[in-house]
Amino acid sequence: MDVAQVIRLRRAAAVAALVALHALAACGGEVGPAGGGTIVVGMRSDFGGFNPITNSDLYTGELINFALFTPLVQYDADLNVVPHLAQSWQEHGDTAVVFELRRDVRWHDGRSVTAEDVVFTFERAKDPQTTSPLLGPVFLQHVAAAQVIDSFTVRFRYARPHAQALEDFWWAPVPRHLLETIPAAELRNAAFNRQPVGSGPYRLVEWRAAERLVLERNPDYPESLGGPPPSQRVVLRIIPEASTLLTELVRGGVHVDIPVVPDQVDQVGAESALRLFAYPGRTLYYIGWNNARAPFDDARVRRALALAIDRRDIIAALLHGQGELAESPIPPWSPVHPGGVAPVAQSIDDAVALLELAGWRDRDGDGIRENAEGAPLRFDMLSSDDVLRRAVVEVLQSQLRRVGADARIRIVEFQTMIADHRSRNFDAIFTNWILDNFQVAATPRALLHSAEADRAGSPNRSSVRDVELDRLIEQGEAATDPAEQRRIWHQFTMRLQQQQPVTFMFWLNELAAAHSSVTGVEMDPRGEFLTVARWSVMER
Amino acid sequence: MAAFVLRRLLGAVPLLLGIATLIFFVLHLAPGDPTASLFGPQVAPEVIEQTRRHFGLDQPIHVQYVKWLAATVTGNFGWSLNQGRPVADVVLDALPNTLVLTITSIVLVFLLGTLIGVYQAVRQYSTGDNVLTVVALFFYSMPAFWLALMMVLIFSLKAYQWGWPIHFPPTGVTDINYEFLSPAAKLRDRLVHLVLPVTTLTLALAAGIARYTRGQMLEVVRQDYIRTARAKGLPERTVILKHALRNSLLPVITLLGLYLPFLFSGTVFVEYIFAWPGMGRVIVESIGRRDYPVIMATSFIFAALTVVGNLLADVLYAWADPRIRYE
Repeated sequence: MDVAQVIRLRRAAAVAALVALHALAACGGEVGPAGGGTIVVGMRSDFGGFNPITNSDLYTGELINFALFTPLVQYDADLNVVPHLAQSWQEHGDTAVVFELRRDVRWHDGRSVTAEDVVFTFERAKDPQTTSPLLGPVFLQHVAAAQVIDSFTVRFRYARPHAQALEDFWWAPVPRHLLETIPAAELRNAAFNRQPVGSGPYRLVEWRAAERLVLERNPDYPESLGGPPPSQRVVLRIIPEASTLLTELVRGGVHVDIPVVPDQVDQVGAESALRLFAYPGRTLYYIGWNNARAPFDDARVRRALALAIDRRDIIAALLHGQGELAESPIPPWSPVHPGGVAPVAQSIDDAVALLELAGWRDRDGDGIRENAEGAPLRFDMLSSDDVLRRAVVEVLQSQLRRVGADARIRIVEFQTMIADHRSRNFDAIFTNWILDNFQVAATPRALLHSAEADRAGSPNRSSVRDVELDRLIEQGEAATDPAEQRRIWHQFTMRLQQQQPVTFMFWLNELAAAHSSVTGVEMDPRGEFLTVARWSVMER
Repeated sequence: MAAFVLRRLLGAVPLLLGIATLIFFVLHLAPGDPTASLFGPQVAPEVIEQTRRHFGLDQPIHVQYVKWLAATVTGNFGWSLNQGRPVADVVLDALPNTLVLTITSIVLVFLLGTLIGVYQAVRQYSTGDNVLTVVALFFYSMPAFWLALMMVLIFSLKAYQWGWPIHFPPTGVTDINYEFLSPAAKLRDRLVHLVLPVTTLTLALAAGIARYTRGQMLEVVRQDYIRTARAKGLPERTVILKHALRNSLLPVITLLGLYLPFLFSGTVFVEYIFAWPGMGRVIVESIGRRDYPVIMATSFIFAALTVVGNLLADVLYAWADPRIRYE
């Protein structure tokens, strides 16, 4: 190549590069916030099928309840049950309830939502072939039968009286005319689930897997339930990486970012155009001690280890303050939360005294306590490979070390942790529990009642056995008066503090961010999508 | 040649079958259960057992294997346990996106890599050569996920905040208003969305190719036949681009086949960071959820693509080197 040739080539390359850059720059400007009443929401993972009977995914459930379908009842801001699809109800003592349905709610194909749909949904959910999560204790376990009285009246009979019974009905009916030909066992795979015909303020018009979903406003949504949404479209984009999602929020490519991770709180705060939503959620983190294994079969050891932990420090440092101390599985915002029971505070002296009392001393001067037989106070602390869990477990290890307990961290992949936890193959575990709704009696039974302590695969994986706790859990479940429930849960919480069968750590705040051009956004323990039917975006 | 291709394709059948069988057993030996991502711990054990029966997971593993094999050879990949739709649909949604990403990248990798390599060889030890060497080593040694995050930070976030004339969308295949754009704007929209992920995938591999090409070229230009070509008065351009390049490309073509697996594994994090709805994300998510039929199908497809890619490299090899004849 001679010099002239090289220069010509360089020139051509430079021109080509410039042309390319201009072409790109031109469209860089066009790719901005979508207008025309379109709200773009960025989510970290794709949704599950939109079938209220088979769904078990949190955010899918929120879209079902707040956007696509119409549940029988909803919660108000104080978490009291309020009419929704059911415009009124009559409770027949502790044994049955009769719902009167609204007559103006229609499926997106135009048919009315009727009592037949409600009963069909109930029966499909109760069919063991369906394997519906609604079968569980917080939904339909205590509901025995459903009966159509007339097209808009339905009666449910309870199997037994129980607390917060109306909350059994926080689920949405599905259209019988579209699903009755599908066998119960195939409901999970029904094409309906990806192209649902719902009854809510929005309908699903497009779903590109792992890419985006498009909801369009339902112009026929009844005024009595709030009427059609102000926005034409809600686009839900799936953006798995938290920092890219936040980048899109800052650039205006999305208007709402769900969820924000604790590390991003400061970054969101620094952007004047963004609003942070932080509120107590339904996720409870706890340490499960394997009560069937030494040394955790001794309540003094469990309590001593609980006393050794500084949970305030963990919340401040690792959660950036985005968490609330937990003293029991009754959430602090629940109407039946007892209040007035302080969770055990860190006290190294008390912890040491209790361990000495239980016979654990450092007999060989290595900093780890041993019992009379010379066995060291050493155990595995299981958790899964997740940034938050890993960080918490590391802090726990160093805090426990200060009282002479040697926790060996065992971080495994999530599925492996679940498998070991389920088969009770662990010493101690740091993990979480997510409430399905606000019916609080179910979690104490699941986690702590001795009836479940030996059953394979049951949720009482810590093998907790305590007669006193059993008695209080049964009373709490059966009590129907809120004041009575609070009194029982107070005793229950006191017992937990003393026995520490598992050590409850904190309720993790839910975090989300929205651009200030979006109005009508409210979020609280009921969910991120609570007011999605009232969200609107101002043109920028 | 046709006989060779056919023989290689036939030979790939037992290979792929072996790979799939290995994946099947390793997968089912790993702890975990597809029901764990469908149900929380509060769901009764009976419900979980019923679901396992429904999925056929209660059967002995060899029975599951035979059933899976019988279905697969008839082209039935089964149903996704997690998404409740046919695996074929899952793959058909994701595969085109991944192919766009990988094919664009591999073309750019070889184009850029050989161009830079040739330039460096021709101008050995010039400033340009030295600068390019440093730059190539920089990108070659950089962890790709970090490069991806830096791309987002600089060309998407900071470029936007500092008001640069160009900034690129960090996520997605198209804009959400794509359907309403003119055809020209649609093409541009697709291209802008390709810039960051393709650049991330391309840089490190192209740097490697450039190093290879440079080394090969330097060796080839010292050969006697190059001196002969110059001596008989051929223009330098012809000498370099025709005689030298073609010969130095031979080992580089072998790299094509070797790079394909890197590229596929590269798409896993590139798709994750840039929210690109492709196979890499499908595979990672389905592993996390133990969605066995999806994992089987996707890993099988990656294996098949790698085999085909290697075959393609061999065919190209014959084209580039007339001495090689496959019988």
